Amino acid sequence: MTLTRRHILTSGLAGSLAALLPVPGLRHLAFAQAGAAPRPLLIVLHQRGGCDGLNLISPADDPHFIEARASELRVLTDGADAGHALANGPAPNIDFRLHPAAGGMAELYQSGQLAVIHAAGLTDSTRSHFVATDMIEHGVGDAASLDRTQTGWLMRSLRSGGGAGVTAVSAAGSPSGELAGLTGTLAVPDLGGGLAPAGGPQVLAVLQHLYAQGESRAAIAGRQALAAMGVIDARLPRDPKGQLIAYKPDDAAHYDPAQDFARPLKTVAQLIKLEIGLEAATVDIGGWDTHEYQPGRFKSAVEKLSNGLTAFWNDLSPYHDRMIVVMVTEFGRRLRSNKSTGTDHGRAGVMAVLGGKVRGGRFYGPWPGLEADKLDEGVDLAVATDYRRVLTEILEMQRGKRLDAVFANYAYPGPLGLFGDRPPPKA
Amino acid sequence: MAAAPAKPATDPGLAAHVLARLGFGARPGDVEALVSLGYRRWLDLQLTPPPGDDPATATRLAAAVLRIKYNAGDPAKKQEWPAVDEMRPLATLAQPIDQLWPLLADRDKHDGAERRRPLLETISASLIRASYSEYPLRELLVEFWHDHFNVDAWDQEQVAIGLPSYDRDVIRPHCFGNFRAFLEAVATSSAMLYYLSNRSSRAGSANENYARELFELHTLGRAAYLNDKYDRWREVPGALQGKPSGYIDQDVYEAARALTGWTVEDGTGIDGHRKLPATGRFAYVETWHDGYQKRVLATEFDAFQPAMADGRKVLDLVAYHPATARFLCTKLARRLVADEPPSGLVDKAVAVWLRSRKAPDQIAQTIRVIATSPEFAASRGQKLRRPRALIAGFIRATGIEMTPTEGLINEMANAGQRMFGVPPPTGLADNTDVFVGTNAMRRRWLILIGLAENYWGTGAFQPSARMGGTIPTARAAAAYWLRATAGQADPEAVAAIAGSFDRPSDVPVGPRGNPDTEKRLARIAALAAMAPGFQSC
Repeated sequence: MTLTRRHILTSGLAGSLAALLPVPGLRHLAFAQAGAAPRPLLIVLHQRGGCDGLNLISPADDPHFIEARASELRVLTDGADAGHALANGPAPNIDFRLHPAAGGMAELYQSGQLAVIHAAGLTDSTRSHFVATDMIEHGVGDAASLDRTQTGWLMRSLRSGGGAGVTAVSAAGSPSGELAGLTGTLAVPDLGGGLAPAGGPQVLAVLQHLYAQGESRAAIAGRQALAAMGVIDARLPRDPKGQLIAYKPDDAAHYDPAQDFARPLKTVAQLIKLEIGLEAATVDIGGWDTHEYQPGRFKSAVEKLSNGLTAFWNDLSPYHDRMIVVMVTEFGRRLRSNKSTGTDHGRAGVMAVLGGKVRGGRFYGPWPGLEADKLDEGVDLAVATDYRRVLTEILEMQRGKRLDAVFANYAYPGPLGLFGDRPPPKA
Repeated sequence: MAAAPAKPATDPGLAAHVLARLGFGARPGDVEALVSLGYRRWLDLQLTPPPGDDPATATRLAAAVLRIKYNAGDPAKKQEWPAVDEMRPLATLAQPIDQLWPLLADRDKHDGAERRRPLLETISASLIRASYSEYPLRELLVEFWHDHFNVDAWDQEQVAIGLPSYDRDVIRPHCFGNFRAFLEAVATSSAMLYYLSNRSSRAGSANENYARELFELHTLGRAAYLNDKYDRWREVPGALQGKPSGYIDQDVYEAARALTGWTVEDGTGIDGHRKLPATGRFAYVETWHDGYQKRVLATEFDAFQPAMADGRKVLDLVAYHPATARFLCTKLARRLVADEPPSGLVDKAVAVWLRSRKAPDQIAQTIRVIATSPEFAASRGQKLRRPRALIAGFIRATGIEMTPTEGLINEMANAGQRMFGVPPPTGLADNTDVFVGTNAMRRRWLILIGLAENYWGTGAFQPSARMGGTIPTARAAAAYWLRATAGQADPEAVAAIAGSFDRPSDVPVGPRGNPDTEKRLARIAALAAMAPGFQSC
């Protein structure tokens, strides 16, 4: 079959893809059916580099904390830089304060949509970024399990939910480890230029031929890319001249203060609204590996995080009830600061869960304390809540059933109670 | 001539594989030249290049320009500089670091573009070298070591300023050399001292950043990180015999202490009366060093050793550790052979690495055993070309007179290779997973069209001249460019490319001298390179 430019133009981009390509991924990129049960939507927000949970949400008046750290590495209770007080903390006598640059997150907490799990993380004793990240992405708790586990936990949750196929996106250049093993994961940092190949219909047609078969890595990757590109690109809004119309967030969403963190969030928001059947997305935010000059760097990262999360939430109001955002990081940081005004790799960090069905405005899980005998290896905040407990609870709530296969060999102690009845929304 | 025709020492198929995998791809005639030279001889020449660039590449680098453009400074902010818009030579490549370092201090005299300039010039040079060097294996290894000893020059201006020196004085001279010597050159480089923040590490509460990645990423590797198994150094197997099989956090803490005082002459105050000069060069500051006794990898360090002796002892211990040999040889085999390196091959490489640990050509010896292995010969087409290799391979195949521009550099980043700009210290991965995302594939194809059709002003392409001057049919052109890029012309691919134009595929693609003719031929070359064959190597 010889393809001509006219042939491509008359059949359209997605049409020509569907007609020509025997691509397994394409069928699975099903559009949402009217009347079907709403799909769960889980967004994993990964703080890369090890976020200092003790600086994000400080036990601000704990004397052990004050002893261990210079004031610029703590959230303060008074003065111009005082942090946001968070009610319903995990220890009745400690004033837990959110970083002053996280005003948006404070509002989400106070309005009951954001829950905090402090002293959460990996129980393994690694202080390696890369080992810890691999464990958290793969959903395991020790190095031996890591060797046996090739797939990401988010990928396994999709499979055990019965939604085989392309239902997930990483808003990045390559698929995140949480989705490892999922065939045809979308990885797109932004949709600003559309997703059609450069060079117009001729190039597309030739690529379809060139990639129609072959089992090399390149051939498979190209085939998957063409399938996903066709479906997404065909749904991007265009003006009558065929030019892409830039994504316009909801009026309530102010992404600009999130700076470069806005881009992946907007990409995910746009894909959610395109109704392509998305059930899971991963978004990364970096800047947390603060070995030196932490005060300025950390503040900048917190501003992006808080502003981004708030804008994303406000952008997706119609989806709140089926949507959950969970924030994870590979580890927290050392209780005692170093002489570079920074903190080295530590143990427990902080997780947060945001969603319309989240019973927010409070902390979950125990607080182990910062007394010397309570510290992990004598130096770090200990892990009181396994990160898999939080993730299990989220997945089981969203899928409405037990999901034993996602975190194999993890003895789930039951829900923390993150979800439950909330007052009905105001009319 | 001898009566009996000599059997060619090297199979042309192997030659094409070698040129694609141990370089960036073949130019016309390269395969034949390698066959006639013989692979062993070719490899020897590649592993022992003369210092500096070959004359033709040096001439290109000297002639290359890269645009720099910025607005005049704001007098209200006491910014004194005039507007600049010029095509400027790659002048920072040869400049010593102390000539560039003042750009950091004189912030009211220079726009930020001047502080990013050394970074962009280094990227431009690396693309020129990959595309034209007579020693492509060196350029490949330079990239490997930049990934291994990753720094992020896009994040910190000091690293950008230090990058020409890092590339020229640290990475390039050691890429085939001795690993222990290499490690000390890295440890004392301003780029690494800034990137992993050892330069601000002080006795009392040392900064562990560099020490941790020294063990985990630069030497022993994460397989030797045994912190989940052992809490104390004497529990590590072999420790009581002075030969621990791996390391734990205590080793990291102690190594961080040993490396305190290794810093950069960046103008920082030492005490109330003294401060470091601002040259960007390495400095050792005794008063910042933690001089008390230490223990690293089950080896005792006496208190108050001479200047830098503690740090050098750490570098000895990690450089010569058997786990380092395995980690580095696995990485080399992953880059040069397969994403899942055959374990037998790694074993052979480890033996050579350890045997030659004091040799000045330790790395070259190790590469030689990998490159001459049957596993290497059997690995054709199993790797994906990285974006830089995609660019350089296309330039080699087409002969385009290419000068990099920021547009091209940005597209390479969009396709997954932001050179000297990977934030985590792992650097860009040696396996191919990171290059096959939806958007990354799209950007890979875009790079080829963009080079062929000069989207970014990198240089015009005259395909008919390359093809001998006669105007071929679309079919002949497709076959020519498939062979020139991927080494073979699959008939179905020829048909798909040749049949995609609004004209018959068996007549010349257009009249000679007509710009549309050249455009069609350029499009055919790009489409040929977009096929899976050229995407792999």
